[in-house]
Amino acid sequence: MNIAKSLASRFAQTLSGQWRWLATFLFCFSASLPVNAQAVDAANAKVTLALATEPPTLNSAVATDTIASFVLAHIMEGLLVYGADGELAPGVAERWELDANGASFWLRETARWSDGKPVTAHDFVFAWQHALKPSTASQYAFIFYPIKNAEAVNSGKVPAAELGVVAVSDYELRVEFGQPCPYFLSLAAFMTFLPMREDIVAHWGGRYAADGDKLIFNGAYTLDKWVHGAHLRLRKNSHYWQADAVKINEIDMPYITADPSAQFNLFRDQQIAIAPLDTGLLNEAVERGFDIEYFHTGSLFFLEFNFREGRITANHSFRKAVQRLIDPDLLVNKIIGLPGIKPAYSLFPVTVKGNEKSFREEYPVMRVDPDIAAAREHLQKAKAELGFSEWPPLVLLAGDSPRALQEAEYYQYLFKKGLGIELRIDQQVFKQRLEKMRRGDFDIVAAAWGPDYDDIMTFADLFASWNDNNRGRYDNPLYDRWIRLAQESNDARTRFNAMAQIQRLVVEDVPILPTYENGALYVQNPRLKGVRRSIFGGDPLFRYAWIEE
Amino acid sequence: MAISVFRFAPKTWGAADDVEAVAPLPLPPMASPMVVLSALMVLCLLLFVTVGPLLWQQSPSQQWLSQISDGASSAYSVRIVSDNGDWRPSAKSDSPRGLTIHTANTEYVRLHWPKLAGVERYRIYRGDANKPGLGLAMAETGDNYYQDRLQLSREVYRYTIADAETGLLLLAREVRPEPAMSAFEAQLQGLIPLGGNEEWVDIPAHPLGTDALGRDILARLMAGGRTSLFVGVVAPLLYISFGCVFGAIAGLMGGWVDQLAMRFVDFVVALPFLLFMILFRVAFGIGPGENGIMPLIVAMLVLSWPGSARLIRGQVLALRSQPFVEASRIAGVGTSRIILRHMLPNVLPMILVAFSFAIPQAIFTEAFLSFIGMGVSPPTTSWGALCNDGIKTLLSHPRQLLLPALLISMSVLAFNILGDALRDATDRRSGVVRA
Repeated sequence: MNIAKSLASRFAQTLSGQWRWLATFLFCFSASLPVNAQAVDAANAKVTLALATEPPTLNSAVATDTIASFVLAHIMEGLLVYGADGELAPGVAERWELDANGASFWLRETARWSDGKPVTAHDFVFAWQHALKPSTASQYAFIFYPIKNAEAVNSGKVPAAELGVVAVSDYELRVEFGQPCPYFLSLAAFMTFLPMREDIVAHWGGRYAADGDKLIFNGAYTLDKWVHGAHLRLRKNSHYWQADAVKINEIDMPYITADPSAQFNLFRDQQIAIAPLDTGLLNEAVERGFDIEYFHTGSLFFLEFNFREGRITANHSFRKAVQRLIDPDLLVNKIIGLPGIKPAYSLFPVTVKGNEKSFREEYPVMRVDPDIAAAREHLQKAKAELGFSEWPPLVLLAGDSPRALQEAEYYQYLFKKGLGIELRIDQQVFKQRLEKMRRGDFDIVAAAWGPDYDDIMTFADLFASWNDNNRGRYDNPLYDRWIRLAQESNDARTRFNAMAQIQRLVVEDVPILPTYENGALYVQNPRLKGVRRSIFGGDPLFRYAWIEE
Repeated sequence: MAISVFRFAPKTWGAADDVEAVAPLPLPPMASPMVVLSALMVLCLLLFVTVGPLLWQQSPSQQWLSQISDGASSAYSVRIVSDNGDWRPSAKSDSPRGLTIHTANTEYVRLHWPKLAGVERYRIYRGDANKPGLGLAMAETGDNYYQDRLQLSREVYRYTIADAETGLLLLAREVRPEPAMSAFEAQLQGLIPLGGNEEWVDIPAHPLGTDALGRDILARLMAGGRTSLFVGVVAPLLYISFGCVFGAIAGLMGGWVDQLAMRFVDFVVALPFLLFMILFRVAFGIGPGENGIMPLIVAMLVLSWPGSARLIRGQVLALRSQPFVEASRIAGVGTSRIILRHMLPNVLPMILVAFSFAIPQAIFTEAFLSFIGMGVSPPTTSWGALCNDGIKTLLSHPRQLLLPALLISMSVLAFNILGDALRDATDRRSGVVRA
């Protein structure tokens, strides 16, 4: 999914910077009002948190962002879920079978919606068909495409009923594939695959999931309160089939602020249980003696070039010049300066799984060393090819978080000093940036991608010519061929060999320039245990957490 | 005698029967220490932003990557090191005694320690040697060596190796890294020629330290001040001039023109300032990368002129009906001459006072807009934008916010005091008006 810098700054994207400070001060006042607000309350098994932003929607068919994913992971349950250690575990489905042509799921009869009705296979069929309908306009429709007829349903060529998903009985679901999909089980745990109740969706129509009372739950928690922009509260769902195993009774989120300093102050004052850390807060946290924790978010940050007609960034020599100029290692160690963030050299982060070990261990990436002389040579070549004597200014589209701006200013300096190219920074809020990326209104964009499902393909097909998220419209038949080969194969070795070719191609042809693999640093209340921080299935996950007395 | 409502009415000469005349209040002396001080301050600020860059020839946009967020430093020499990413100790030195530091410079610190039985993963902490505590956990590794490259500076560090499973502290050692710079950076900065193999280079002093991107704060304050003061002077100049002309026309013409003009003024006054400022700046379309000074000035011009228009219009209206103006009109003096001889000398002090108060206001507006990210865009900077940069590192490096904030306060205060003094000075003119 597109990374909205979920824990860093989302609210900030409505108005830049300092409104957040105002908000901080207001928070300081409002925070003193609730009496006995406590980060963790062992007696009532209650945890208090701050949210970076409120979820834009809780409609699982159209949700795309990490905040919605976090809330949905608690209030809904799919066929499969990610367990306490990040492994795939049974959810609504009791058992399943995966073969080359499809998958069968047998649902547990004890699974209930929060109004007591059983969760049936029909709820899944409806949800998936609903998400694929052209009128739903789900940005995640493509994720269903391995299913038979999904692409045709999505483009409106065939009715939704033709989708290769059938409820054999109330408790048996059969999925037919249109192409091999060895990673379908991890797809089934993704939020777009969550079940939906037809009667509730029909009743609320377009307003479904717009408020806390306009949706229904089948997960470990129910959404007890949702005051837009101000407060969310989750309570244990008594109808949940495994309610006894859920230790935390209440997750209260009375603060919505993307400002890491505000969240850190709340944490320091024991108002919230978890707070993210940013560069400026790191020393403060160390000095206060907090335990700083870390996890690799599995997301990749990169510079993407525009390949549309008439864009000079499509020139290969130019891209090579940029590749020799930008040193991810320097960026990570000097500019970002947070431990845990790793320089990236490959399209695939180190967290991507390979045959047995990590993909990157099995197929090491070729590293291109920075070299200014070589970069200038490449640029000279590019100038000669394009017939320029002077390189025209380029537009760098960047996000508006402090870190994104700092990075952009660094690139600006590097381009000017190293290549003599003027780089203009176009700083945009998240939504605007996505829109400009979609329209191709940029020369270079600082973009990011987080994995959707636990398979290498979530990164690999990003720059296939048909992918909507290929914002630069990179179109390389060779790249497409390797992707097709991998998609049509069920053999792991063939797939990973194709992926190794993709990895090589990205280094040699430079459709994107990986910069860093993001890691998140955070502080957590020491009494709170078992909170799962992970790449998939909602982060942070409190489903398996408990409070130590 | 009736006291004229108008301050600068021609003096009635020889009125010896001045029984009502009150002894004039003692006026504050023009050159009070406060005024001198503020005038000096304004002068210093102007010199700081104009002559300063000539004396302190550092580029405000040069990023010293090896000196990120550094404190004040004098010039020193650094060793050029070539770093090629990964490092592992050579096989023959595989089992050092205790925690060994292979190399320690500000580009990388290379640690090597003996493999300890029963420990599978090591966790490396780095802390300030002068402070208690372990410091920051840098990494966890299964190997018995580690290379630290994370924003190293010239302070004394203490490295601690712990068992990652049990948290048991195993080894510790203090080290002060030697100043160094990577060959890549030296080439980028133009300190060594491409392909050159100098071993040492000198890097310049940073009397006020560097910011989060390694830029010299002193040079940035000068560059930022130039923008701030430029906007602070040019914007009021434009909008006061426009307001004066507009108000004068309304006042002189009178009648329906006046009515129409003043209703328009009312309309502009009713526009919420901040909201429209932001809207204008969006509408004027600051393209990516344009510095945004011109749109800022235009936006201020469009929204700020009504105040001075009202002021001048009222004054002109009052002047117009003054007997001495009427007299010269009856005497057949042309309009342009009336404006030149009667109107202008009488409104000029007022304009000056309005102008001197508008400067600090404009500086502040610019700073405020840049602070919320609606002002100038990088690499152009201003004091407000510097504050915006500085607030991100407020907790760790408060200097980066406090210095530009101090300069904004100083300039606003100085201009305000000067404006006050100017107003007092114009008050003392009991006025001979040449007629």
